[in-house]
Amino acid sequence: MLLDYDRLGWLKVALLGFTTLVAAFLLLPMVFIVLLSFGSSRWLAFPPPGWTLKWYEDLFADPSWIEAALTSARIATMTAILAVAIGLLASFGLVRGDFRGREILRGLLLTPMVLPVVVFAIAVYAFFLRLGLGGTTAGFVLAHTVLALPFAIIPIATALEGFDKSIEDAAIVCGASPLQAKLRITLPSIRIGIFSAAIFSFLASWDEVVVAIFMASPTLQTLPVKIWGSLRSDLTPVIAAASSLLVALTLALMIVTALLRRKLQT
Amino acid sequence: MTEPFLSIRKLRKAFGAFTAVHDVTLDIPKGEFLTFLGPSGSGKSTTLYAIAGFQDPTSGDVLLQGKSLLSIPSHKRNIGMVFQRYTLFPHLSVAENVAFPLRVRRRPEGEVKRKVADMLALVRLENFAERLPAALSGGQQQRVALARALAYDPPILLMDEPLSALDKKLREEIQAEIRRIHRETGVTILYVTHDQEEALHLSDRIALFRDGRIEQIGTGEDLYLRPTTEFVAGFIGNSNFLAAEYLETVGGTARVRLADGSIVKGVKATHKLERGQKARLMVRPEAFRLRPADGNASLTVEILDTAFFGDRRRVVARTGSGDEIDARPTSDSAEVNSVDAAYGRQIFFDPAAAFLFPA
Amino acid sequence: MPVQAQQGIASPRTSAGLGGLAPALILIGLFFVVPVLALLLRSVTDPVAGLQNYAALLGDGTYARVFFNTFLVAFVVTIVTVLVAFPVAWMLAIMPPALASLLFSIIILSMWTNLLTRTYAWMVLLQRTGVINRALMSVGIIDQPLPLINNLTGVTIGMVYIMLPFMILPLVGTLRAIDPMTLRAAALCGASPFAAFRRILLPLSLPGIAAGGLMVFVMSLGYFVTPALLGGTSNMMLAEMIAQMIQSLLNWGLGSAAAFILLVVTMALYALQLRLVGNSRATGAA
Repeated sequence: MLLDYDRLGWLKVALLGFTTLVAAFLLLPMVFIVLLSFGSSRWLAFPPPGWTLKWYEDLFADPSWIEAALTSARIATMTAILAVAIGLLASFGLVRGDFRGREILRGLLLTPMVLPVVVFAIAVYAFFLRLGLGGTTAGFVLAHTVLALPFAIIPIATALEGFDKSIEDAAIVCGASPLQAKLRITLPSIRIGIFSAAIFSFLASWDEVVVAIFMASPTLQTLPVKIWGSLRSDLTPVIAAASSLLVALTLALMIVTALLRRKLQT
Repeated sequence: MTEPFLSIRKLRKAFGAFTAVHDVTLDIPKGEFLTFLGPSGSGKSTTLYAIAGFQDPTSGDVLLQGKSLLSIPSHKRNIGMVFQRYTLFPHLSVAENVAFPLRVRRRPEGEVKRKVADMLALVRLENFAERLPAALSGGQQQRVALARALAYDPPILLMDEPLSALDKKLREEIQAEIRRIHRETGVTILYVTHDQEEALHLSDRIALFRDGRIEQIGTGEDLYLRPTTEFVAGFIGNSNFLAAEYLETVGGTARVRLADGSIVKGVKATHKLERGQKARLMVRPEAFRLRPADGNASLTVEILDTAFFGDRRRVVARTGSGDEIDARPTSDSAEVNSVDAAYGRQIFFDPAAAFLFPA
Repeated sequence: MPVQAQQGIASPRTSAGLGGLAPALILIGLFFVVPVLALLLRSVTDPVAGLQNYAALLGDGTYARVFFNTFLVAFVVTIVTVLVAFPVAWMLAIMPPALASLLFSIIILSMWTNLLTRTYAWMVLLQRTGVINRALMSVGIIDQPLPLINNLTGVTIGMVYIMLPFMILPLVGTLRAIDPMTLRAAALCGASPFAAFRRILLPLSLPGIAAGGLMVFVMSLGYFVTPALLGGTSNMMLAEMIAQMIQSLLNWGLGSAAAFILLVVTMALYALQLRLVGNSRATGAA
């Protein structure tokens, strides 16, 4: 009865009320930021005394914001491509491979997800300083790919585990080479996993703050580094405008994901 | 008139436009073993759930010793129940599962211990008290569920297809167990199943459900030997239906004409039929014989297949008008050859064991 | 996972899978394992060889305060997150699909939105002249602004916000795996809703609560961004201290040693969490 939605009685009212509050709590920052970005108060007064597009104008007038966003997009795209490619190969090894220590390797490849980012950040910062990769796009992409790899491997490996290998074998029996069978049969079957991996690894890089703070140079900074810097100096509404655009991007990404999933599944 | 023990009054349950139970009315005396039998979706489980308090009926009432149960929440109804799936609490040992209803009733520890021991003895699982449910077989789990449901001496025990997840051998074993426990405890049992053999084996009475209504209620014998509708005749036991035309009733028995033109006399007349009305003559497989006896009707058939089952023989045949017959005459070694060779031969049945239903 | 899927006819059982793993292993080995090991090495060699960095960290009251504070925040955040997440996960597990997917969308939106964006919103919301203080004052609950930011309150609110999805989503899985019939059985056995909760629902969700709670705790221990922006100087957390030691103080030895302590604690708790998840799967309770 406690797990029968329609038989909870007053408890359902209480729990639903609480759940609604939590949903509002979860939604509050996004809604608030978007409203604030159109508010005319320089001091972020709320409710705003008037409405304006000034902060968006300021945002687009400042080339450093645009540049930071482009840098982020570039690094995140390269990270996603690299992480998906490496993750795809690794997933075949982890799921199909039959060798000792497979579980240990899986654990090792997923460790960057659980290790506190700050530890990795200073480690890779020191290492890249020595290699001369600090403050370079290559350094950013490599460090972010390490962080994104678990997010690429998990969905791909899960999809691959759910795929019956005998279908691939059937293709080989039909005369396809093992590579052809993988490309034409297996990959299309696990495309939802690959697609999720791409989204997740893109986001892992796009949103990454800590490594970026250490790695950034005056000439190369990502969007989170730019926001971080602004946050530390003052809470200008321009940040609200930039943040609102990020919320919009997230929403767009969610909708695309939902649509693509629906399309891919049918 | 004495108050019935459990009484279901015009119980109706609708889910939106779909009515799962149509005004079911039923009285159950104390100590009875009553089975709700029927195909899935016939409303038998829904009726049981209304008694358990898992679903509120749309209208109607359920009375226990004259008092309505409907306003009482499940946990205060004091009803025992065994479910289709194993619903033992996976984190509690067998003993603690059985003790659970007593613990939530805050019974003293000594009583809990004694009662748990009694119950485990009743279901013969004394040696499994400390096991976790996951370490038991399906049959053992259902026996623990039975012990748990009886631990607090509920006046009624509900059982919702408790054996459907078990294999045939285990099912029969636990059926015997349930019969013994019913005898020993005298608890009133409402049992839901779609398995007619199980129903016949266990019950004092059977309520046969169809489309949310009780089609017929009675002992197994009533339903088997005196079905009131074609549905009951078809659901209980195996049946053969022959297309027929009603002619007349003479001296309490009916005369019908079969599709091949032959006349059958001496059929029990249970339904009012018009002369010339299309009807269906139902004959049980075991009512067929390979040799005629006095008063037997005969059918000219083509034998399609025969098989030997020890005490009985199976004969699959087709009448001239295309009705297929599955007959189970008693075996008789002298008849083996004649059956094998048969083509266009006759088989016989006792019209008094046949039933006539309107088509 | 079907066992046959592992035994293809065309590719014999070999260590061929290792070839596919090579790029990942090179990447992780070269750019993860090596840097982290180098950092560990640095903690015992910088400025001179020896354990003096660890001695300094563990012997000093200021650092001890940071360690204590880190654990305190992580603990408070975990408790609050569990308490808030459980009812939500409970409803999500049983509510009608349309409502559930709406709620899931809200959770995903919150989870996927840029971390700094969310933290920025809380900075503005919680500040002295922020919306929350104004609202509370205008209703008359308080007449002085509450200190909601640059202290433990701010960090807790911000962190709970971030951690909630990580607790809710796995808990929904745990709760959905519990057969609702089990709770019907408990009710018929005479258990009141409260008794059924305490004796059945809660114990059966405990493996999920423990696993999720431990994950939230581990993540909170090493969290950098939110405590740095919403916390105060008097209750700095470990990750922020490490960053400061490296970035501002350039004290690589001490910073590396602190980082290594964080690494060991995190990995130990993570191993415990894996064991918990594994056990709960083995008993079928989760």
